[in-house]
Amino acid sequence: MLFSRKIPFWVLLVGFVSGLAGQDTAPQDLLRATGEPGKPGGRLVFAERSEPKTLNPVTAVDRPSRDVIRCMIGDLIHINRYTQKTESALAKSWTMSKDGKRFTLQLRRGIRFSDGQPFDADDVVFSFKVYLDEKVHSPQRDLLLISDQPIAVEKLDTYAVRFTFPAPYAAAERVFDSLAILPRHLLEKDYNEGKINQTWNLNITPEKIAGLGPFRLKQFVPGERLVLERNPYYWKIDTKGQKLPYLDELAFLFVPSQDAEAIRFQAGDTQMISGLSAENFAVLSKEQQSRNYKLQDAGPGLEFNFLFFNLNDDIESRLPQVARHQKWFRDVRFRRAVSLAIDRAAIVRLVYQGHGAALASQVAPGNKLWINSALPVPQHSVAEARQLLQSAGFSWNKDGGLMDREGMPVEFSILVTSSNAQRQKMAVLVQDDLKQLGMKVSVAAMEFRSTLDRILQSHDYDATLMGAADTDADPNPEMPVMMSNGTNHVWHLGEKKPATPWEAEIDQLMQKQLITMDHQQRKKLFDRVQEIVAQELPIVCLASPNILVGAREGLGNFRPAVIENYVLWNVDELFWRASGGIR
Amino acid sequence: MTRYLIRRLGHALLLLWGVATLLFILLQAAPGEFFTEMKLNPQISAETIAGLRTQYGLDQPLPVRYIRWMGSVAKGEFGYSFAYNIPVATLLWPRIRNTLMLTVPALIISWFLAVPLGVLAASRKGKWPDRVFSAGTSTLLALPDLLIALLFLLLALRSGIFPVGGMSSTAQEEGWWKSALDTIWHMALPVAALVVGSLPILLRHVRASMVEVLNSSYMRAAQGHGLFRNSLLYRYALRAAANPLISLFGLSLAGLLSVSLLVEVVMSWPGLGPLLIEAILSRDLFVVIAAVVFSTIFLVVGNLLADVLLYTFDPRIRMQ
Amino acid sequence: MKKTRRLSLALWCLAGIYLSVICAGFVAPYSFEVQDRLHPFVPPAKIHFFDSSGKFHLRPFVYAVRSSDENPMEYQEDHATRYPIAFFTRGDEYQLLGVFHSQRHLLGVNGPVRIYLLGSDGFGRDQLSRLLYGGRISLLAGLLAAIFSVTLGLLLGSIAGFYGGRLDDLIMRVADLFIVVPWFYLLVAIRAVLPLQMEPAATFLLVIVVIGVVGWGRPGRLVRGVVLSARERNYVLAARGFGASGNYLLRRHILPSTWGVVLTQMAVLIPQFILAEVVLSFLGLGIGEPVPSWGNMLAYAQQYHVLVSYWWMLLPGLAPIPVFFAYHVLADSLHARLQSVS
Repeated sequence: MLFSRKIPFWVLLVGFVSGLAGQDTAPQDLLRATGEPGKPGGRLVFAERSEPKTLNPVTAVDRPSRDVIRCMIGDLIHINRYTQKTESALAKSWTMSKDGKRFTLQLRRGIRFSDGQPFDADDVVFSFKVYLDEKVHSPQRDLLLISDQPIAVEKLDTYAVRFTFPAPYAAAERVFDSLAILPRHLLEKDYNEGKINQTWNLNITPEKIAGLGPFRLKQFVPGERLVLERNPYYWKIDTKGQKLPYLDELAFLFVPSQDAEAIRFQAGDTQMISGLSAENFAVLSKEQQSRNYKLQDAGPGLEFNFLFFNLNDDIESRLPQVARHQKWFRDVRFRRAVSLAIDRAAIVRLVYQGHGAALASQVAPGNKLWINSALPVPQHSVAEARQLLQSAGFSWNKDGGLMDREGMPVEFSILVTSSNAQRQKMAVLVQDDLKQLGMKVSVAAMEFRSTLDRILQSHDYDATLMGAADTDADPNPEMPVMMSNGTNHVWHLGEKKPATPWEAEIDQLMQKQLITMDHQQRKKLFDRVQEIVAQELPIVCLASPNILVGAREGLGNFRPAVIENYVLWNVDELFWRASGGIR
Repeated sequence: MTRYLIRRLGHALLLLWGVATLLFILLQAAPGEFFTEMKLNPQISAETIAGLRTQYGLDQPLPVRYIRWMGSVAKGEFGYSFAYNIPVATLLWPRIRNTLMLTVPALIISWFLAVPLGVLAASRKGKWPDRVFSAGTSTLLALPDLLIALLFLLLALRSGIFPVGGMSSTAQEEGWWKSALDTIWHMALPVAALVVGSLPILLRHVRASMVEVLNSSYMRAAQGHGLFRNSLLYRYALRAAANPLISLFGLSLAGLLSVSLLVEVVMSWPGLGPLLIEAILSRDLFVVIAAVVFSTIFLVVGNLLADVLLYTFDPRIRMQ
Repeated sequence: MKKTRRLSLALWCLAGIYLSVICAGFVAPYSFEVQDRLHPFVPPAKIHFFDSSGKFHLRPFVYAVRSSDENPMEYQEDHATRYPIAFFTRGDEYQLLGVFHSQRHLLGVNGPVRIYLLGSDGFGRDQLSRLLYGGRISLLAGLLAAIFSVTLGLLLGSIAGFYGGRLDDLIMRVADLFIVVPWFYLLVAIRAVLPLQMEPAATFLLVIVVIGVVGWGRPGRLVRGVVLSARERNYVLAARGFGASGNYLLRRHILPSTWGVVLTQMAVLIPQFILAEVVLSFLGLGIGEPVPSWGNMLAYAQQYHVLVSYWWMLLPGLAPIPVFFAYHVLADSLHARLQSVS
């Protein structure tokens, strides 16, 4: 008999407990969220400007795909879009070695994918293997290159991994944000067969896709909508211990036109809207009470619009007319005069209807951690601009037209894309401003890819007005833009060595901040970069729009951030105060 | 007749091939390609973009890509979409079906309205129904399609009677009958916008043809003989006036895939419109070429039908 | 006779519109490009005869508008000063017919204040002036493009229909090609080849001609159908029997039967080509800023916030309506005349 040998009670107890540990009710490393606790239920509908092209985190590049994927995946370390700082996600803790090269992460235990399969370090190693594989050509690979060397990953034990950086990297933690951890049990076969780029496309069925995010795929209707449902295995709980997410369903409607998006929000088809233009914001504000929604100006974002001149070297022989104009563009006094003549306040008032800010450098006010607040916004003074031009050898003819030293009238064109109404408006304002200096400026609006081709490929343009939105507050992703030999140094591509001393200084500063660990020191270096940009004006920064969003009344935890993706970043914490959702 | 049809089929295939080839060449001539936009993203390196271009065969010379594409057509895939990374045919079928759901009813309704109204205007030429139609068509012709669609959308928002876009409500799956009704309810405004857009042209042509016939001597003679007005109009005059209208009908059929693009975008209808416009702008080659090829098929069928009807209705035309 | 009255009315109407558009510099109160950044989107000025104290003035007048800082987009009339509308006022300088310099305008307001009879746009530019200047390009361009399309269509369609057989097949297949191919990429390619700084009018007209030439497919097909039928008429066969040449037959007997289709197509294509400028400006082939044209002004107006808040921006869309109506009446009368002649 079992009890004949008088087995001690404690042995049985231990055996019982360890028996329990092997089952689903094992203690999990859940993350406790800090938002207001809400109640579960309801559905939320959000509009996307076009349908996602793929649900594959390895290949996805376009915004709608990334928006949807972010709701379905989990990453190791996440950047809180509201505070702009990193926080723990699937990695519950981490340590960096003294030399700044070895990064060890402890993973949460007992977590499962949305299809119930367990998550462990093998999934992490597999994911990074896929991202780093050169034959896959994943855009995520470029995020994992430090000075053109890839990060290496190794498994330490079931719940611990170590990343080895080829060089010390200041923003090491931030690298991992939004890098989805892929389910090895679903994707390994496709990867080994070389087909990983073709999986999880739009003909996917829900049972073949799984992730560690708050939602999982429920239904996809091509061209119309994509519906996600709550992931019952999500690893976050609120302060009261309730499981997140609160929402039963999250649906994405595809609404190709910006106006239709605003109208559908008003009608109640969607309950949250972001990326509102200033004009539509004004229209929607009028009906806030009657239609029971609330709009919000979340403050300055990270987008910056700038004017720059063609400073490329390779056009002397090919494009003689542009080369002649470059004589003016290369003179910093000319650029400074242009900057002084531009009425930035008018841009904010007329283009953004006041919901924006004038810029001193390429860092927008929304980037609170990095902006050089000591830099003053450039003043608007036509008189000073004229003085500068005079000192640079320009003069005016009897009609008031500006002429250079050789008597050639100053005429050039500003290239702008026709798909962005705001930038076109800015170009018209700049055109009128520069008329006061006697410059004859024409606005050449063109279809988007044609403008890109001119800027990046043929270099056949005089000046252009572009906009860019940083996806992260940290300056590191902008290295290819700021470095003189960077591939995105658009105003002067293909520089073998820095053309001017200040460009060399920028190069040095950027390289240094890349490897400096202390934030204060990095900020000092980057402040100096902004100063140089504001003085030497490789780009003339104009204005930055505020983030304009809206949501139906009664949506709890609605806290828009100024970084992508503005209103969806805390979708796992959103809940309906009254009885859930609509329809 | 059979020989004629076979000859036309041969021409159709030739035309399809010509259209596809011309598009291939035109797309090459236009600056920029699909991956140009990626070059602007500082977080994607040039090597990755080069690798992706190789993967999609964009670094091959034009003739090689052309032949590979023809092979894909033979397989029924019509190439791969750069954006979606799935065969173009699977991408297009549901969209084409949705577009036809709008354009076919719109076609039928416009013609059913244009013919009687045009006949009315012609028979009462100079009097107030005619004036009203002239003023109305002049007004509608001045309004671009996009504006008309936007106005309808506003109407939907203000009145709350019609849905503000989309093809179905985001409710749960319902019974067959209910979801059919729901779809028709969503179709109402886009179809109305299309009808309003195409009616003026048809109306004008019907009226002009009828006026020409009504003024001719044999018509007046028939009237003098005492034939009743309605039978005069519809059995005799309309048949005589039908010639340009039949050609116009063929052209209407030809436009079944292309008239509704803008309306679909504004009304968020999941048809060919949003997909094609995005593909055209982003240079998603094979999607554009396949869509145009399908449009051409409609054109060919429309013209063939028109020609056959011409020969049938007009005994004066003899087939050569 | 009522018919001639309608016709002459339409002709006078068209002449008036074309004249005021050609002399836009004089007729318009202001230049098309002068911005007034403190007064964007001002609604059309209210014309008063009675002032705020109830007194009647023979001369109509307007008030200045001001906006407050809290609501920069809401304007209130400032009843302090009256600005009577005057004729032959001094204003922005312009060039009449490219030759005369002048500062006199047909009507306006004397004083530092600007009067926006049809409202102002997002840059504070006077919409009435822009409407008048804009008509220049649009009216001419639409007409030209339609003429090209219809003439080519008439030519090729008649040849196809008259000679029939293989020629018919060939021409019709080429027409199909022109109808179905999206010329978007051709236009993008053309834009790539053209220089960045273009003389707006000349290049725009060039592009309109291209659009017109490319658009011959539909009129061609319609004409061909009519010609196929007309060719077999008894009088044609009789004339042929008498030894009439192809040319003579085409001119004398076949062509008249095409008038109905041709004139209707003209009346229908002119609006379409004016609206085509909306797409052209998207591609960079339209008139560049700040020069206005009805097409690019309308392109801006096709937005939700304009429809709801700034209705006066839609006027460029409504301005062509009397023009189209006049063309319609013209086409109608011409048709009737040509028919009675044949």
